[in-house]
Amino acid sequence: MAKRFSRRSLLAAGAGAAGLSALSWPLELLAQSGGASRPLLTVRTAADFDLVDPAHRRGPTDGNVMRVVFQRLMNYKPNSAELELDAASEVKQSSPTTIDFKLKPGQMFTDGFGEMTAEDVKFSFERIGLPPVAGAKESTYKGDWLHLVGVEVKSKYEGRIVLKQARANIYEVVIADGSGCIVSKKAVEQRGVEFGLRPVGSGPYQVVSLDKQKGAVLKRNPEYKGAKRGSFDEINVRVITDPKTTDLALRAGELDFAILSPAQAEPLRSVAGLNVSIQPSMAYVWMGMNMEKAPLNDVRVRQAIRLGLDVDQMLLAGYNGKVARLNTALPPPVMGHWKEAPVYKRNVAEAKALLAAAGQSSLKLRLTLLNNPEFQNMALVARALLAEIGVTVEVDSQPGGTYWSSGKGDTGKNLDLYIARFNAKLDPNFVLQWFTPDQIGNWNWSRWNSPEFDNLFKAANSEIDVAKRRQLVVDMQKEMDKTSAYVWLTNEASALVHKSWLKPASVPGWGDWQYADFSAS
Amino acid sequence: MQVDTARYLVSRLITTALIVFGAMVLLFALTSLVPGDPAAILLGPQATPEFSQRMINEMGLNQPIHVRLWRFFSNVLQGNLGIDIVSGKSVLKMILEVMPYTIALTFSAIVLAVLTGVPLGVYAATHRGSVLDNVLAFVSVAFIAVPSFVIAIFLLLIFAIWLDWLPVLGTSRSGDWLDEFRRMILPTAALAMGWIGFIARLVRTSMLEVMGENYIRTSRAYGLSERLITYKYALKNACIPTITILGLGIGRLLGGAVLIEIVFARPGLGRLIYSAISERNYPVVQGAVLVVVVIFVLVNLLVDLSYSVIDPRIRHAGASRRAGE
Repeated sequence: MAKRFSRRSLLAAGAGAAGLSALSWPLELLAQSGGASRPLLTVRTAADFDLVDPAHRRGPTDGNVMRVVFQRLMNYKPNSAELELDAASEVKQSSPTTIDFKLKPGQMFTDGFGEMTAEDVKFSFERIGLPPVAGAKESTYKGDWLHLVGVEVKSKYEGRIVLKQARANIYEVVIADGSGCIVSKKAVEQRGVEFGLRPVGSGPYQVVSLDKQKGAVLKRNPEYKGAKRGSFDEINVRVITDPKTTDLALRAGELDFAILSPAQAEPLRSVAGLNVSIQPSMAYVWMGMNMEKAPLNDVRVRQAIRLGLDVDQMLLAGYNGKVARLNTALPPPVMGHWKEAPVYKRNVAEAKALLAAAGQSSLKLRLTLLNNPEFQNMALVARALLAEIGVTVEVDSQPGGTYWSSGKGDTGKNLDLYIARFNAKLDPNFVLQWFTPDQIGNWNWSRWNSPEFDNLFKAANSEIDVAKRRQLVVDMQKEMDKTSAYVWLTNEASALVHKSWLKPASVPGWGDWQYADFSAS
Repeated sequence: MQVDTARYLVSRLITTALIVFGAMVLLFALTSLVPGDPAAILLGPQATPEFSQRMINEMGLNQPIHVRLWRFFSNVLQGNLGIDIVSGKSVLKMILEVMPYTIALTFSAIVLAVLTGVPLGVYAATHRGSVLDNVLAFVSVAFIAVPSFVIAIFLLLIFAIWLDWLPVLGTSRSGDWLDEFRRMILPTAALAMGWIGFIARLVRTSMLEVMGENYIRTSRAYGLSERLITYKYALKNACIPTITILGLGIGRLLGGAVLIEIVFARPGLGRLIYSAISERNYPVVQGAVLVVVVIFVLVNLLVDLSYSVIDPRIRHAGASRRAGE
């Protein structure tokens, strides 16, 4: 028998369904509601999660959670650039190319994956640093373990890291950082691609839930045997992209900690119960010039542009003057920072003379930058300043999607001027690795091809003597200065906004947060 | 009559399939033409050129366009929306994870808009020219004109900061459903405001038009009560334009509530699409937009079908037109 719809039956069915759902929803809500009264820390992260897996992590959001979920042989002391032992009871540089380690016994992985052994260390390091085996995906962080030959397992708890050649920065950038995190071999093999979403570690916290766009819930790992017990039973990491929402959530008391730009944080100074402090960041921002493309391949033109700019004025426009000026590539906390780097002052007459000497009378250049307000404001000032020396600048402000590929491959050959911002770590070779000749067409957007710089870079990378390495690093910065292709702008600054009872912790630069060292004062 | 209904249904289904097909072609073309190197954007400075190339190969971007198009279609037809190149997760799974948030927000906003907008529209139509009618006209236009994210910020300031009645963040910690409900109130209100104004204006206009029809005058002549005439005869017929708008509205809100999702830090399909576009994460863009398109088309198909149920003249008109062809 064929069923027929009538207006009455349709409307009645619709009303019935709506009524049922309206009734069942609150009942379900009531049935499932329940309060949690355990001490909780709620922090904001601006970027979304991808994978909490040392081999396939993407950004600081993943990295910050990773560093409390996994242990490393060594890690950073709270709010310090100094290292201390973590999963290892001993780490020894036995020769320039070998590092011996001994694990503390009884360090258990969560979810019943057993005790950490030297086999897990071998697996963790080699899955990042060596070519992938059995169809596994290659790690994006392969470069961290550059020169790794392998890890030799000597006993259940002992092993040796073997390198092809010495690495000066292996402790700070690799062993104590993300690529030094120790995973459970068994768990990675068992969980496969799911491992990054349901990670298994032995650190002070474990992941309860990890939802894209929403955040992560971490709880204290009852089996953790180390010294960093953490002050909170639970840590809730919320993904909040919008700074205004972050501001309101801080005011409403829904967040305990967030990092904002100094300008965004300023109005929060007057909110009772909140602390705002400005900390130097480790990022470095500069205006670069494409040294391969005419007329910027003429050093006099580059010098003229450098002299035509007024960095302080640009920073005033971009950051309301709330950030310090940078005069060289390396930020002050990084070993080898060139303190005596020249501080260039604007000199219109000299800039014009240099352009005239280079035969440039009506120069037109395009300035490519990411479309964030700070860079856009600085670009507008740069355009006005350069107009006074006879250079017409077209400001090309691009969204992230197109901007990040504008200096790459053949597209990069067409670049004139650009404003860039890279994140830094405490190691000079990490910071300067993007300026070597092999990065041309990749991240060396100035297309600077300097064998001298490359040699210094390689020498600094393997120089273990601190004083000698420092000199090599200073010499690298001098080489960069000679090119006149880099106008260093700032390290930026981060404004920490947190409840007055909270003491946050991070490796200097506030890129690598130390959740386990956050404490309630 | 049943044959007419079946014919009508089949013709609408064919149209729906063609629309989805066209949307898929456009979607594919768009993701192929947009500038930007997805490997560079996704991987950042850590990626070596070799690794970037491997990722491009994994995404199939090194293959000719016709091969990629064929693969896209055949995968979709098998229910495979692809794999997120970053996490290795199934795109369908990613969509299903955020879908409940989007559906809850969209439907609660639409329900709130209907429950508020329809009575206001009826009141304005039956009290034409009154002070309240004029006030409603002003408020409705204001609600329509102000973007939802501006309303959202105001609602947050009033209800979360000054009055401290409701939370700022639009989602709770995992599993707390009562808290989740409280956190949905402000996003729902912010999203619904514009629609309340829109529906109120639409219902008022439709009602005024219907109230001038001969059958309404006849009903009055028969002595039927004004209440019965308004709610049973006039409102029912005035509903059709509103239902059309609701169909379009649901489709728009499914993928277009991105600003509300950002302001309230709520997960959702809009945010998923937005971040995937900025990262050039093509499998996610294609999968998520396709889901929005399919839902949009299906909702509008249901809307079209509901016309013929509410007003049989539409069904007859369709059948007569085909008979005359």
